[in-house]
Amino acid sequence: MPASQRDVRNRISAVKNIQKITRAMEMVAAARLRRAEQRIEALRPYVGAIRRMTRDAAEATGYVPSVPILSERETVSTAGLLLVAGDRGLAGAFNSNVVRAGIAVGREYEARGLSVLYFASGRRPSSSLTFRGLEPRESFIGFSDRPAFADARRIAERLMVAYVDREVDRVEVFYNGYISPMSQVVRRETLLPLSEATLLQDEQASGRALGDGQADGERGEVRQAEEQRADGQTQAEPAARRIYIEYEPDPEAVLKRLVPDYVKLSIFRALLESTASEHGARMTAMRNASQNAGELIKDLTLEMNRARQAEITQEIMEVVAGAEGLG
Amino acid sequence: MAHSKFPVQVLTPEGEVFGEDVEMVSTRTGLGSIGLLANHEPLLGTLVPGELRLYRSETEIVRFAQAEGYIQFLHNKALLLVEEALPPDQLDRELLSRRLADANEAAARAPEGSEEQAAALREARRCETFLTIGV
Repeated sequence: MPASQRDVRNRISAVKNIQKITRAMEMVAAARLRRAEQRIEALRPYVGAIRRMTRDAAEATGYVPSVPILSERETVSTAGLLLVAGDRGLAGAFNSNVVRAGIAVGREYEARGLSVLYFASGRRPSSSLTFRGLEPRESFIGFSDRPAFADARRIAERLMVAYVDREVDRVEVFYNGYISPMSQVVRRETLLPLSEATLLQDEQASGRALGDGQADGERGEVRQAEEQRADGQTQAEPAARRIYIEYEPDPEAVLKRLVPDYVKLSIFRALLESTASEHGARMTAMRNASQNAGELIKDLTLEMNRARQAEITQEIMEVVAGAEGLG
Repeated sequence: MAHSKFPVQVLTPEGEVFGEDVEMVSTRTGLGSIGLLANHEPLLGTLVPGELRLYRSETEIVRFAQAEGYIQFLHNKALLLVEEALPPDQLDRELLSRRLADANEAAARAPEGSEEQAAALREARRCETFLTIGV
């Protein structure tokens, strides 16, 4: 039996209401995405400057001092996995992709006889892990919309404490890397132990992981100034090209302070990329939902017209039958 | 007497918070308070939580609550990299008090000499310093 006009009309109005919500959510996500992209850009000059300082301090000491988070463990018995995703859903496969990738690696480690400790950033990965019986060791929630550096520092401090105090022997992070509003890819990176190569590798090679990339006006300016000064001196003595810098307290202490910053910045970068990815994924998901709602409205309108036509036809037939009966 | 000015840039991971010419920078390093005037000798130092003062003139001072970071003075330009630089009126004192209590509790609970205790003490020191910075 065809649905009555009123039923179909009610369904159309319900779908229209949903479409209004999905359209609004799409627009909100688009606005937040732009801000999230700007925040990734804003991190670049800071990371560039940290890298320059590290290089200068390492040149002054001539070696990288021994810092606990740089030392690799001979045997790895416990792995820490940090899953970074969102506090909210309605963003397509954004949350589940990270959780799935993290759990797959966790299972692989367990199959090799390692213990696995999960850490979660975001309500979704935290509840997904709990639901699967893999209670996270610690969850960091409430900031996935707009993470502050203080949030990244809190997570980094917790993980470094776990590493230095030997709760874990290795830490990896899983997050949605931001490529474009339409495209995100799950990235897996080793956070701890930090490799010396990460500290001293050239800026372009390490650009993606820490977010300093290539475009950095401020860096260009300082280097240019240094080069101008260097040009005035003899080329035969590279050592003389360097300016004497007073270190406070000393280059080694400065370097020791700089090393943990790389972990904090890697996590901050992951949080910022994850946030941009979340807004991008939500924008796409909501756009699809709005389109689907539009199609559904079209189908239902057609159905309602048919029902109305059927009712009219029925009424005409009744009138004709009545007239015939009278005649 | 007015001092000559020099450019200062204060960067945080969340972006630039200050970029102007000033007469003097006053901040706190691992060794104590420091004041930098134009033409200071090249310097690279670590910063600890404290009050950062940027003197546009003797009377016009821009203040920030600074977290841990670094200061570099090179080619008559100062570059400060700090994890956080917040105007004093934007400090959430209630949240800071809560975090200070949590950090102190965590430091007391953590094993003596552990990294956990060191991290909690760093957090406590930061919160405590921020709370002493007046509006």
